[in-house]
Amino acid sequence: MPEWLLKDENYIPQSDKDTFANKSILSLLSLLSRIRTQSGYKEDKFHVNAALKVTFTLMLVILLSLSRSFTFVVVIYVYLLVILSLMQGEEIIKIFRVSFVMAIFTFLILLPAAFWGNKHSSIMITAKVFASVTAVNILSHSTRWNSITSALKRFFVPDIFIFVLDITIKYIVMLGEFALNMLYSLKLRSVGRNKSKYTSLSGIAGTMFIKSKEMAEDMYSAMECRGFTGEYHIYNKFKFTFADFFYIMINICIILTFIYLGRF
Amino acid sequence: MHIPDNYLSPSTCAVMCAAMIPVWSIAVKKVKDEVTKVKMPLLGIGAAFSFLLMMFNVPLPGGTTGHAVGGTLLAILLGPYSACISVTVALLIQALLFGDGGILAFGANCFNMAFILPFLGYFIYKFIKDRVKSEKGEYAAIAIGSYFGINIAALAAAIEFGIQPLLFKNAAGQPLYSPYPLSVSIPAITIPHLIVAGVVEAIFTVAIFAYIKRVSPGTIYEGAKQKANAIYGLIAALICLTPLGLLATGAAWGEWGADEIKDVLSGGNALGFVPEGMKNGFSFETIMADYAVKGLPDIAGYILSAVAGVAIMIILFKVLGSLKKNNAGNLPGQ
Repeated sequence: MPEWLLKDENYIPQSDKDTFANKSILSLLSLLSRIRTQSGYKEDKFHVNAALKVTFTLMLVILLSLSRSFTFVVVIYVYLLVILSLMQGEEIIKIFRVSFVMAIFTFLILLPAAFWGNKHSSIMITAKVFASVTAVNILSHSTRWNSITSALKRFFVPDIFIFVLDITIKYIVMLGEFALNMLYSLKLRSVGRNKSKYTSLSGIAGTMFIKSKEMAEDMYSAMECRGFTGEYHIYNKFKFTFADFFYIMINICIILTFIYLGRF
Repeated sequence: MHIPDNYLSPSTCAVMCAAMIPVWSIAVKKVKDEVTKVKMPLLGIGAAFSFLLMMFNVPLPGGTTGHAVGGTLLAILLGPYSACISVTVALLIQALLFGDGGILAFGANCFNMAFILPFLGYFIYKFIKDRVKSEKGEYAAIAIGSYFGINIAALAAAIEFGIQPLLFKNAAGQPLYSPYPLSVSIPAITIPHLIVAGVVEAIFTVAIFAYIKRVSPGTIYEGAKQKANAIYGLIAALICLTPLGLLATGAAWGEWGADEIKDVLSGGNALGFVPEGMKNGFSFETIMADYAVKGLPDIAGYILSAVAGVAIMIILFKVLGSLKKNNAGNLPGQ
């Protein structure tokens, strides 16, 4: 056995700043995990038609934004809380996390305005932001993504948008994993001080783009082989269920409340 | 730059959405004509790419990190119309899936990041690149284009925020939506973009472009020949933007007339401060302020400033162009 192998070595790698790599890895990971929980198969909650859900969520956000009555905002809070209470614990935590972050961010931004004597609108806007973010998150957590795409088709959104949207959601995950692996390998390979680390960051992004181009070409040929012409057709007939009826009734009540309370 | 819901009034959101509809329809039409079916999936993957690009944290001097938007990069790589659609989709996913950027404010966000950013960035890039043939000139064009693209988009967002308290007040005179006037919103949004985000965007765009050009040069979007005169499009876009400012002052003046004099004064102060924030980046706005101070009617001041701005831009680019020509002439002699 050669002698140098038997010698004890005490190599301490020089410390190097790599917070940016860690940060990128963390943000990519959180993104991927969120999409995975989204795209995994799950039952459509509440059995309400996705087109109705999208329509009425949009309506709710508009009404919230228009309303100047705090009572109306409170009514909406109660409604949203009731829906949330019907969902699973994990989902509730996820929804609340986003809403709280957004609301705190809004509150901080509006804090100086509150000192200028604008307390009412600061509180109103924070409350409204919290409610609308929660409403949108309830929609995205209770509806499968492909049903949202089919809902968009019903709203006469051009095929090209639906097509792009469809691909984007799938490929964020694929390209994200790809980028994540490259970031890992960059981190593993830079032991001690690595001066060319910053330049490799653009390499990662550039490779990601070239890879995405190859993927796009492969996918197109795969789709062409299967007879895809770029047009989307909805072939499930709209079935009006009791849940749909119930959902519409609730939303009519919300509109009536809005009218009753007035804008002021 | 993602505007959340309830910061902008629903009517502003409606206006912005209405402004985006022709842009979207033209983009869809253009993409259908220009992009072959084989390249169509690239749009979606481009959207995924720009979405992920925002996840990359670039190290900045001082120990902080920032992230790029990549709108100009996409416009250079895929063409501005494709970039418009791709960024729109990325924004839609952020709004629906991540609660980043509002649903109502979607139109406004698209206007800033899917329309102004890629188109302005691309046209500036194209304009400089067509006049400076060297490789360095091309990289400079990319850097300048992406830097201006993101900063003007940020300025647009700041204006959208800033006109809210002027346009929408309740009976007590308190703003209903975003409470900060232009004097606060413009510096607050544009300065970080000028110093941090713009730099990151420019560095990232140039670095990735250089990498792709080295590794796979065939990928880059060529663009139709007639786009060489893109600067006129840019000018048209800038002139189109001025009515936005006109709307702000016009309506605000109307409201002050009905309100107390105190409000007029504070409003007047707010307007007086606008150029302070704008001095940092955008030269023609200071001139607008001068006109306003001289006591011209606001509308006249605005139109004058728009004309002056256009003139300054043209002069700037002409001077730049002639400087470059001189350089190019000097090179063989050296």
